[in-house]
This record gives sequence, C-alpha cells and structure tokens, in this order.
Amino acid sequence: MGSPILPNASNFLGVALVVNRSRDGPRFVFHYPPQILPCNKNASANGPSDGLEDDDDVLLNQTARAPFEAANESLPNSVDLQRWNHDDHLETDSGSQIVPWEHVAGYPTKDLESLLTPARAYHKKLFQVSLDQLCFVSYPIYVPENGIWRKKQPKFQPPKSPETGDLSTKDGQTYISASDVSQIETRDMADDAIPGNPAEEADEKKSGMTMFNLVFILNPKKHEVKELADTLYFHIIKKINKPFRYSQQKSDFVWKESKRILTLKDKNREAKTKMSTLWKEILETSSLAACMQDVYEAVSHNKIAALQLETPEGTITHSVQIPMPFYLTDLPPDDEAGSRGLWITTANYFVDEDSLHDPAFLDKNFALLLMSDEKKIIAELQADPDETTAAMVEFVRLSKPTMSFHQIGQGTALSPAQVREYAQHFIFWRRAIATPPLHARDVYILSPNSDFTLLPQASRAWSRAFPVAPALPDFLAELSVAPRPYKWFCPSKNHRPTYLQMLAWLMRGGWVTQLCTFAYVVVWPEILYEVEYSLEAEELRAAAAAADAPRNGNGEGSEDDAADSDESLEEPVSTMASPSPGEGTQQFDPMTSSNPSLGSPFPAFDPTAAHSPLSASEPAKSLSLSLSLPSPAQGPISPSSASPSASTPTTRTPPTTNERVAEKARLERIADKESRLAAERAAAFARKPVPRQTDHPSLNSAAHLAHLSPYVIVDARRASAAGKDSLYLSAIGRRLRDPAVRAAWPVFWKHFNGRSALERVALLQDVKRKEAWALLGGMSEFLVCVRHW
Amino acid sequence: MIQGIFYARFLPQEGTKIVAQSPPGCIVATTYTPHLKPPLVDFDIIQEYIIPRKAFFNRFMTVNSPDGKYSILGFPVSIPSEQYHRNEFIFNFGLVVEADVDQIPYERLVRRLAVTFAEMERQNGYLSADGGVDEDGRRPIESLLEIVKEDLNNYGECMIPVDEANTLNMKLFPYHPPPPPVHGWHVPVPKMKLGDIVDPTWDLTLQKIIPHIDGVNDVRRIAWLADVSLPLTRCALQHLLYYDTVLLLDMFFFGSCYAPRPGVHDFIANRDELVDECAGYVCVVGNKPGGPGDSGCGSGGGGQDGTGSHDVRGRSAVADDDGNSNSKREATSTTAAAAGRVGGAGGGGTGTAVTKYQLIKLMTTFCVGRSVMEWIKLHQDAGFDVLRYIDVRRLVQFGVIKGLLYRVHKYVVSKQYLSLLATGKRVVESQEGEGDDDESQRLVRYTDGCHSFDQIITEQNMTDADICNKLKSFKPGDLTIFYR
Repeated sequence: MGSPILPNASNFLGVALVVNRSRDGPRFVFHYPPQILPCNKNASANGPSDGLEDDDDVLLNQTARAPFEAANESLPNSVDLQRWNHDDHLETDSGSQIVPWEHVAGYPTKDLESLLTPARAYHKKLFQVSLDQLCFVSYPIYVPENGIWRKKQPKFQPPKSPETGDLSTKDGQTYISASDVSQIETRDMADDAIPGNPAEEADEKKSGMTMFNLVFILNPKKHEVKELADTLYFHIIKKINKPFRYSQQKSDFVWKESKRILTLKDKNREAKTKMSTLWKEILETSSLAACMQDVYEAVSHNKIAALQLETPEGTITHSVQIPMPFYLTDLPPDDEAGSRGLWITTANYFVDEDSLHDPAFLDKNFALLLMSDEKKIIAELQADPDETTAAMVEFVRLSKPTMSFHQIGQGTALSPAQVREYAQHFIFWRRAIATPPLHARDVYILSPNSDFTLLPQASRAWSRAFPVAPALPDFLAELSVAPRPYKWFCPSKNHRPTYLQMLAWLMRGGWVTQLCTFAYVVVWPEILYEVEYSLEAEELRAAAAAADAPRNGNGEGSEDDAADSDESLEEPVSTMASPSPGEGTQQFDPMTSSNPSLGSPFPAFDPTAAHSPLSASEPAKSLSLSLSLPSPAQGPISPSSASPSASTPTTRTPPTTNERVAEKARLERIADKESRLAAERAAAFARKPVPRQTDHPSLNSAAHLAHLSPYVIVDARRASAAGKDSLYLSAIGRRLRDPAVRAAWPVFWKHFNGRSALERVALLQDVKRKEAWALLGGMSEFLVCVRHW
Repeated sequence: MIQGIFYARFLPQEGTKIVAQSPPGCIVATTYTPHLKPPLVDFDIIQEYIIPRKAFFNRFMTVNSPDGKYSILGFPVSIPSEQYHRNEFIFNFGLVVEADVDQIPYERLVRRLAVTFAEMERQNGYLSADGGVDEDGRRPIESLLEIVKEDLNNYGECMIPVDEANTLNMKLFPYHPPPPPVHGWHVPVPKMKLGDIVDPTWDLTLQKIIPHIDGVNDVRRIAWLADVSLPLTRCALQHLLYYDTVLLLDMFFFGSCYAPRPGVHDFIANRDELVDECAGYVCVVGNKPGGPGDSGCGSGGGGQDGTGSHDVRGRSAVADDDGNSNSKREATSTTAAAAGRVGGAGGGGTGTAVTKYQLIKLMTTFCVGRSVMEWIKLHQDAGFDVLRYIDVRRLVQFGVIKGLLYRVHKYVVSKQYLSLLATGKRVVESQEGEGDDDESQRLVRYTDGCHSFDQIITEQNMTDADICNKLKSFKPGDLTIFYR
C-alpha cells in the first residue's frame, strides 16, 4: 500500500529538447530549468540507507574513474569548478571555454545529445535510459519514412483531420478550443489549394530535422523509478507530444523554434552571455521554450500544465495532468506527506457496482463543490469561449454544494445529461469535487487528514473570507471536540447561509469531513430462536407428511411449489408464535397430524408444498438440527437418494423373488427406524419452550435464549434475497409495531450494509430528512451502528 | 529472471562486439546457432548503450528495448593504460531482464561483475589475454557467464571461482524502501519474539533495547530503561522497522480518544476470522495467581491458527512482561494512567467468554469525542463491565494494528503564534530548540498545530495535566485545543 509516487522538485529535475538532423547530426536544443545539477553519487541524496554504495563503488571510484576523469583535460582545475555558479562562462587552463548551458545534470550536452537521439525503432515508443541515479524518459518522434513532416492532405477533405479529431475534446482530456481548430483548419485549406512546391520539400528533406525528442530528466529514489517513469509517460509525456507533432506537421514549428533557439545559443556563446540572461531571452522569444517551462513548473508541482504553442497558423492549446484523486478513503500512514489535506470520505468508495452504473443514484448522492471562487471559474470559462461556454457558466452559477445534481437537473436550464457531463469535466480539471450535498443537520468533524502545516496561512485566508466569523482555529477546535449537527454551531437561523458557505470553504480545504453513521442489522436471540423453532416445526411436519406421501403416491415435490416456498415458510412463522403451548404441541406432533389434509389447519401445508422448501432451499438443510440428526425427510422419499433400485432399474437384472422379499423387509426396517427417529425428534421438539414475543427482543434474557448470542447480518440487502437471513429480516419486520416503520423496513434494509450512510437514506429514498430519521429511529433496536467518515 | 547475460568489448578496429553471451544468440545470432530463436534485442539499436560515449563510462546504465519487453543493464568500464592499443581497454558485462521486473536487485550484480573483471584485468590482464577457446570450442568466459546466469536464476546466488585468486560471489537481495522515521512518542510492538532470535553477535544497542520492546514502552522510555541515547535507540528501531519486525503504535492512555476507520467493516463482517483473533488476544481469562498484571492471553494468542495472526502471536510473547512494565510505569509516574489499570482488571475475572457480538459492540462504540475512559463508563452503565472481561489496552491496540481504529490526537494551537508564522515574523524552529529558560516559552513552539500532546509529553517529560497547567500561563483565549 502507499500513495502514488508523483513528480516533485526533488525527483523531477527538468525537461530537455533534443533534435536530430539528417546532415548535421543531433543537437541539444533547450532544457529547463536552466541549472540541472548533477546528482552527486556519494552525497546525501542517496543516503547511507541506499545500501548499494558498498565497497564495489569504492573500488571503482578509486581505480577506474579517477584516472579517467584526469584524462579529460577539458575541465578546469577543481577549485574553480566547485565555485562555479553555473551561470558564467569559465575558461580552462588549456584555453577552452566552458559554457554553462553545455552541461546538464553533470554531463556535457555534446554527449547527452547523442545518447538521447535513439534509433527510429523507438519512434512513438517509450525510450528510457538511465545513468546511475539519473533517468531519462521520452517518446521520440521521427519524421515519416518519406522524410517529409508535412502531411499530404487530399483536397476537399472534410475539415476534421484525424489529428484534430484526436486533439479536440475527447472525454475532456485533451482540449483545443474550437476557435483555434477552425483557425488552423482554414489555413490548412488555403495551403492545400496551392500545391506544395516540390523544390521546397526537397530542401526540407535535406536540411531538416529527422526527429525530435522531448526528454524528461528524473532523479527518482531507487524504489520510485518504475512507477514515476510510468506515471509520467502515460499521463504527460505521451500526451504532450501530440501538440508538438501536430504543430511540426502543420507548420514545421518544432524545427523552426529549435533553429531560433540554437542560433541564439550560438551567438551568445561567443558573447559569453550569462546563462540567466540568455534563458530569459529564449523564454521570451520562443513559445516552445516557454511551453517547456510551463510543463516543468506545472508537472513538478503536480498541477495542470496548460500549453500554448504560438504557431504561425494560430495558437495551439493543450492541457495535460496526472489525474489526482480528490479524496481518500482511509488514513494514510503517518509518514506520507503527499496525501495530507485531501478530503477523506467513503462516499464514493462504498458505492457498489450496481449503483455505480445507475446515474440516478450518483445524481442524488452528490453535489458539486467548486474548488475556487465562482467568479474566477466563470472568468476562466469566458476567457476561452466556445459553444458550450454559456451552458457551463450557467451550470457554475446554479451549482451549490447544498444541491444534488439531481436537483440541478430538475431545473429548466440544463438537462441531467449536461449536468453530469459538465460536472465530470470540472472534476477532471480539478475545478470542483463531488461531495454529498452539505446540510446543516449533518455532522461534520475536523478531518483526521487535515494538513495543519497550512493552518497559519489558512487562518489568514479564513479571516479575510469570513471577517465576522470565529477564528479558524477556534471554529475547528469546536468542531473537533464532540460530533454535533453542524447547525449547533450556527448562532441563529439567519446565519445559516453564511455558515454553510463556511462549511463549503472548510470542505474545499479538506479541513472537515462528514461523520456518517453506518448500520448493520442485528438479530437478537429471541428472533433467532423464533425462526429456528418455526423452521424445525416446519421440518417435522414435512417429515410426517413425507412419511405418508409414498402411500398416497404423491411423493415428489413439483417444481412449481418451490416458488411458493418462501411464503409458505413465512406464514407459519407469523402464526405459529402466538398459539398457546398446548395447542402448539398438538398441532405439530407428527403422530396426531399424520394425515396432513386433516391435521393441518393451513391449506398451504399439503405434503408437496411442505416438502419442497426443505429439499429446494439450501439454508433449510444447513440447519443445525437437521445436520445433527439424520433427516428423515431425506431417506425414503427424496428421489435421488431414496431407493437405488428405483433410480437405476434398467441396468440391473430383474431381482429374484427372494431378493424382492429381502429388499422389502429391509425397506420396512428402514422405514421403522425412520419413524422411530422422527417420533423421538418430535418429542424432543415438543419439550422445547415455545417462542414468546417480548416488546424488546434486545432485552429478553429468558433462560432458553442464554446459549444464543446476537447475530449481525453484514449485508441486509444481499441477505434478503435468500437463506435464513431473509427469514430473520422478515421476522424482525413483523416485530416493528409502527405500521409506517414496518412498511419502510423492507425498503430501508438495503442501506443496512455498513457501506451506505444513514445520513443519505433520505436523499436516496426521496423522503424528508425528519421522516427518514424517525423511521430509522423506529428500527434502531435492530441495528448496530458505527460512525466514521 | 535473467533472460540473457553478455560480455561486450570495444575493439579499435571492429567497434562494439559481443564476445560472449548466454544463452547463445540472446544478443547477436552466432554462426554456431543459426537454428535458435532470434536475439532478444536488436544489437544494432542498443549497441550505442552497451559501449556508449566516453562521458558515460564507469556508470551503471540501463536502456529499454524498443518493443518495451526487455531492459538491458550494463556497466561500461574503461581501463586506461598504455599497454593497450589506443591506450584504453573498454568492456561491459551486461544483463537482459524483462522490463517489468524489479531491476534493483540486478544493479548490484552488474556492478559486481564490472568491478571483479576490471580488477582481474588490472591484475593479470585476464580479459585482454583471453584469446583461446577450450575443447568445446567455447571461450571459458562464456561457460562462466552461463553458470552465473543459471545459478542466479535458480538459487538467487552464485559463488564461482574464476581463477586461483578470484571468486565471483553474488546474491540477489530484495530492496526495501527506507523505513519511516521513529519518534520518541512511538510505541514499538514486536512482530516476533525478538528475545529468542537475538544472539551476542548482534549490534550492542539492539541487544540492549530488545528486552524493553514490549508493546507498552514508548521509544523514549526504552532509551531510558536500556540506558541508550534516544537517537541511537531510534536508529536501532529503524533497523527493526526496515526488516518489518516491529510495528509503531501510539502511546496508550485511558484519557485519549480512538475512533473507527472504514476498516471496522471487516471486523463486523468477521473477515478472516478477525473477531475470533481479537477474542483470543483481548479477553481476560481468569486470574492466575502469578500476578495481577498477567492478563493471561499468552495461551489464547498462541493457540491461534497460523494465518494472519503474526502480530498477535508476537504480542503474546510479551504478555508476561506486561506486569513488570506496568509497575515500572507507575513507579516512574509520568504516564501512570496508561496500562496500569489493566493490572487491576483481571481481579474479578470469571473466565466467561465474551461473545462476538459484544466485541463488535465494543469496537463500534469508539467514537470521535469519546475517550477510552468514557467508553468504559458507557459500557459499565449499559451493564457490561468491560474491565472484567477485556484487556482494554490490547483491544485498542488490536484495533489500531488492524486498521479498525485510529488515535484521535490532541493538539494545542496558539492563534498569536499562528499569525506570527503566517506573516513570516517567526519561522518554525528546529526540533532541538535552544532550551528557553521559560517553560511556557518552551511550549510555544508546539502550538502550531503540528505537534501532538504525545510529542510534548515525551519531549518535555510532562504529563497531560502538567502541560495543561503550564498552558494556563498563556494569554487567555489565545489557545485552543484540537482533537484530530
């Protein structure tokens, strides 16, 4: 377990662009940040705990490397080198010049450029090379085999080329604003109208670039390498190359920018310009360089990188990010700083499979909580308008953290589908999170995952946002002392809206989380006994009936009866508990009720119906009683095990008379034994105390219940489908005295699975909060609750 | 699994050349083995990374194959000497492994191969003199590589004499990330009977502290009891943590508060017989005459089935220590409230088994804002005398270890101090403050909300009540207490 390994300033050193040219070979174009320092092997970066710095390295360092480096005379004396600020140019004793930008991560760019221009086999594939701790990850892009970047487009092609199709909104993941696309496309059409100059193409072929490679330079810890490289590769590196390749294909953008940067570098090499000055100039003049800067700054802080490539054919915008969960389901280990401050909740996690695909469920359960100011988001939307902007702005205006998507979708402005789509869009781009709708009656506590290192800044921001509210530390402290409904903290009803805004503010910062109640059904011994008792009675009756059945020639339970089994089982449970003891024993004594049609007062109890639930339903067989005694119902009648001779008569030779007699005697003996056993069981059963219903089953401490301990049904909804648990549930249902509660019981029990919070029952069932809580209160005797987020 | 192992040289005339490889044909096809599978990688593409440019010599170097299936691990070595043609001898011993396996264990091997052969070359020109082939028509180095590969793949280690003086000793070690820091207020809980496996060859500090690791003592106390400095103790415990032999918990106080985590669902569902395991661990079974502190769970815990009860069994080993440590704790008084009460608990034990439902009820009634003391009271009022049946400390620790409960820590925050921090007028001082003379001044640096009471208790050697008293000297209304 552990939180995902994400890029940060210590493991993500920089980005670099390397190109290869057909004639002049590879060139290291640009890197950002300007100073990528070597990660010195023996320094604390690796730490003594790394374990790999053993004698082997000592040996190598002494013997192999020292002479090798001495041989490299292009370096100035070490004192100078140590004092070097990596900004000025240095001169070696031999007169050669050391240019600050020609050393990246401790290696000369001359060497790196050849290392980082791999063969065509790596075209659009992961290329990962590592040097000691350093790791270079990239996705090289090669020129098409014909040597021409520009894509030949057939005339009168429909405006959407496959490339733009790729780039425009797909799941909201990659996004070029519509205006840009159309701008580019109109130019495209114009270009295509004039047939390409073959001479120009040939020229491009000769001098042009054969590949470019945007390299991410990493310095991961030993155990991070794979995960970090994979994360960056899938979410950033692969995606970021799309606009690069697109712009190169459209307007030779990457090469033209590279040429410009390289010229600048060459000129300033002679002028011995300070690196900081040169870099400033490059970043100002080249949107490609600026874009690399943006990528580095955003990715190393794990933000969304918004690229802007100012190609001559219009601006290409593109956004990439490593998707971040906006919530956690459980506390991270103490030492993991990365996920501190994230909202902690199980609201999303415990959504089970079925409801996940039910949009209505999600709609009702969640509201949109904007992560920044509404005005700011609207401004952002309007800054980059397209046909959906108006609707999105409307959506932002309508969205309130107290209103579920369902409620927003009910309005006239937006359809539920739009609400869903925009909400997903905002959540993906980290402008909002989905939370259960905030409500003043719910309980909110100080989040155990809140990040207190942010407290000083946060309390300032808080007092600016809510000048008259209590100070943030005081307010949080109050919330943390004991869980209470949020409205308790609100001085009066007039303050409610402000206090809900405060709550939204706290939720956004991950300072608070909702304390929810999760329930399970508990079956008290009284109920256990009652169900047990009725099942046993049932079984005995079935046995008695079955004993008669062969004689009546009516032995086999038909399939149709199985369907009724549940009702036929439930019925006796309800009626049976009430009769007086004397009556009860009379009724269920198999001796007296041997003729079922006479003995049984219930029509449902004809032998076939009574028999079928036992053989058809597994749980009945697994009764402790039927397991401890050989079940008489199983022996003679059940068609499979009853008489082997009956089931496989054709394969045998016809039995002789003697055999037949012997067989008959044997069967009789078995039957005798069976009936004797049945009688014994019935007698034992008759001695058991008859279940009595008390007002509070949880308090019933009768002696015959002492050996039973309460039983918890983990998932009532699943349990209600079949098995003994379903009998318990319906038995409990009959105990609920209030008719409203009794009616709600089978509807509500699906929430008693320890996964769905009772706070959300009202939302899901579309009833008033108060009503829901009143109903739940009526059921509370049969629930065991636990409270967490 | 090592898919291939090779020895490459840079020859002045021919360029990079694979001199030996195992299995044959894994890097380049050979004339002897044309019928074999095609090479794993395209040599023409990767040769640049086997013998790279000069700047990259003497470094561990890896590259993936274009198809993403394999990684090539190597360590190009250059030995400069006038005796060689062009004054340099360049070689690389490398491995080919699947791209998705953990490469960390192989890095050592590659480094070791490079070092050993570089040294042998320097001693007697082992590599440069190698020209002959043995009777099978193979170079001795090729058979050597084959043995290395086979041994490492089959046994995870190899010990192969190369000549009279040199042996290749290599082993694949799993890599563990560095353990989290150990703090003075942590309570280490052994996962195994450390006392049984320790022997006189172990580190002296470890030998001294191990007897005091009993799941009750906090790190600072262990240091004090073992007469070892705190930093050394922490370092030693980090070693135990690295090998996953201890767990770190919080200090147990009856006044502190615990609350359920979502993991409590597993307990209620009794997944992996969690409740039964808990019962075996926490139930007080009778009171032995041996001592009131002996909660007698040794047998219960030890009798658990083998699956998933490591910590419990480890813990039962220390059960007998509890009595002693409790009395010590009371004698030294700072945290007397902690486990001491448990000692009295066994007094009236009747040996009645606690039902699963009761355990579930106990576990689920922990709540934010309810201290352990209040929790006990709650159950006593409901007619269940917890202390008679349950070792509360063990129940809580069981919950924390299994991720069912979390400790709600107590923090103190000074608004004044916060605003100083926010405006940058005061920076967060280093942990080892320069010992202000005024006690309340000493406490100020804890009031930024990042230091729990546990930390103050251990670092300042004060009890909870002491701290609260001291805090009274702050400006009224400035301090707030958080529970998080």
